[in-house]
Amino acid sequence: MKARNRLRTIVMAAAAISLGLTTAACGSSGGSSSSGRTTVTFSYLWSGDEAKSLEKIITDFNASQNKITVVGVSSPDFQKQLASMSSSKGSFDISDNFGNAVGSWASKGILAPLDSYVQADKLDTSDFVPAALNQMKYNGHIYSLPIAVHDFELLYNKTEFAAAGISSPPATMDELATDIAKLTKVDKDGNITQLGLGNPDTGTTLTTLGYAFGGTWDGPGGTTPSPDNPANIAAVQFYQQNITDKYGAAKVAKFTAGWGQYMSAQDPFYTGKVAMVIDGEWQPVSIPNTAAKLQWGVANIPVPADQPNLAGTTQLTASTLFIPANAAHKQAAFEFMKYLTGPVGMAEFTKSLGNLPARTSLLDSNTYASIPQFSTWLQNLKSPNVHALASQPYSQQYATDLANAFKSVLDGSKTPQAAMASVAADAKQYPAS
Amino acid sequence: MPSSTRPPDVVTRQRTVRRRQSLRGLAFASPFLVGFAIFIAWPVAASARYSFTDFNLFQPPHFVGLANYRQMLHDDVFWKSLTNTLYLTVIGVPVGLVLSLGGALILNRPVRGQPLFRALVYLPTIVPIVVSGYLWRWLLNPQYGYIDELLRLLHLPQPLWLDNPAWGKPAILLVTLWTVGGMTVIFLAALRNVPKDLYEAAAIDGAGPIARFWHVTWPMISPVTLFQVIVSTIAYLQVFTQPYLLAQTRLNTSSGGPENSMLSYSMYLFQNAFVYLKMGYASAMAWVLFLVTMAVTALILLNAKRWVHDGSH
Repeated sequence: MKARNRLRTIVMAAAAISLGLTTAACGSSGGSSSSGRTTVTFSYLWSGDEAKSLEKIITDFNASQNKITVVGVSSPDFQKQLASMSSSKGSFDISDNFGNAVGSWASKGILAPLDSYVQADKLDTSDFVPAALNQMKYNGHIYSLPIAVHDFELLYNKTEFAAAGISSPPATMDELATDIAKLTKVDKDGNITQLGLGNPDTGTTLTTLGYAFGGTWDGPGGTTPSPDNPANIAAVQFYQQNITDKYGAAKVAKFTAGWGQYMSAQDPFYTGKVAMVIDGEWQPVSIPNTAAKLQWGVANIPVPADQPNLAGTTQLTASTLFIPANAAHKQAAFEFMKYLTGPVGMAEFTKSLGNLPARTSLLDSNTYASIPQFSTWLQNLKSPNVHALASQPYSQQYATDLANAFKSVLDGSKTPQAAMASVAADAKQYPAS
Repeated sequence: MPSSTRPPDVVTRQRTVRRRQSLRGLAFASPFLVGFAIFIAWPVAASARYSFTDFNLFQPPHFVGLANYRQMLHDDVFWKSLTNTLYLTVIGVPVGLVLSLGGALILNRPVRGQPLFRALVYLPTIVPIVVSGYLWRWLLNPQYGYIDELLRLLHLPQPLWLDNPAWGKPAILLVTLWTVGGMTVIFLAALRNVPKDLYEAAAIDGAGPIARFWHVTWPMISPVTLFQVIVSTIAYLQVFTQPYLLAQTRLNTSSGGPENSMLSYSMYLFQNAFVYLKMGYASAMAWVLFLVTMAVTALILLNAKRWVHDGSH
């Protein structure tokens, strides 16, 4: 009897200890140093071939010095990234995101400010593209550095242009409207079989058109949402009049619903379903790999004929590197960030991914000479008409509300004026900048 | 022998034994109790506290009183999500009950191949919900989907489903009602438990099939029906996965469909918590959902007295 009681006590004690150990193990994380080198965990959102390119750069960095070992982890999950940064001890020291998240995250204390590191290293930030560097700042402090930027141009299908008798890409909005009409085809049942202007991403297409019409989405100071700016409304109206209303919202929706996956072999631009798209600089790398037979060209986005000063307008977005506030090895992480955003690391990274460098000194580099027609995107970064959406605490909610408003215009349920007015009304509830 | 007549040392020994037995029981239940306290009770209590704060998960919560609850009154998207969810509940629950009970009545008949039909009816329930969500996105595609293809063959209108605000919620209902097999199997078990002599007695009294259903089957399965109504109602009030997947436009972003027509209450709660990082507001929404669910369940239970047969007569 006594032996059985003792055995029961031992079993219960063992169960309690194992439960305790399991709970303790859940809270442990890596980042410890070994062989005198500090281990920096770099969790990045890139995957597939882009991740492979990044891993090569990480290997090069590790081999170039003997103080830091960077361990790369591909983790393309925004929620997981955010969850990791909410704990007292983070699971990574450096990560990436997009520029329009900087303000929101910085205002919540998620990001470590980089000013002290920048000043201590006397890092020259004047080489960064101004619109990109502006997105890295919140309340005058730097919270991120841009590793790559992206801008948008008008891609067009040369074969379809020739078939429609169009000799050159449109330079004005009137020419764009005419070309859309010439390049949109409808069958005998009224169903669209080819669309003159495609729409890889509604938000990007319409906000870029807004800039091209001379509008601004964040007010003159870049800190206040201005969806109902008259030029923005004119841009949305242009799209509505020349596509949605002209061919029927239901017909357009039905046609776009049948598009293949973006940038796959069934991509609508690659397969001739759309004759023009406003898209980014990753296309010159993707098209030769996925649609080698496509005859395509690229031109700057058209502007209104009566505003030639707007020539070269484009929208810029940035891929950024940041150090979370709960990172264990901030200084070491900044050393790696300096390498990646330095001329050597940035050139290698952006060349392999087909992204634009965030440094103006690299815009004329021969590094990108082998990428076909890449120079249009590169040289456009020198234009004074490069705009970026503001990086403010309200940015994410604003992006969601704009997306809903654009959708309501595209499905014909709201006029551009009403849709933008509703966003302006919602914007009154946004957190202060 | 009562404890007052037992010798003191026996009483003490018995108390020690009982205490030891209680402690052993607690020890064996401790993994569950600890897990419950850490992963359920503590987060529920914490969310109640956070609902009175402005909390973004990364900075200490800041007390704001009833501001989050007051904000709901003026938040159009909140009311839209609540209306969408109530629409799905009010239509989905009765339609699901009719379909599952009808299916169970058919499956209860002695036909050849009955086990195969039962398995086919239950099959949709075991398809992983994310897989079925993405499959249905293609089935409902207005250009290539089989649903509109079938409607075209029948010369019926082919709606734009996920691109039309009027058809987004019917699309969600199609996907949720596709898995009524689970409820059908439960009803089938209930039907099997109805005593056959009641049917024989009813038949002798001249009751036809409909009369036998209303006066024998329906009352006898009414407790199971009540269970199905409550469970189904709670599931619809919390619906998230199906509308989230159907309305999704790009990975890692949340969309509510055209004009937020497919935005369920839980989706808007998720958006506030994990996209806008408004944990306080999301916690307040969670508590409002809890109270609404409790109120609806209480209403169902109160009403149940009128139609649930408790078997006492």
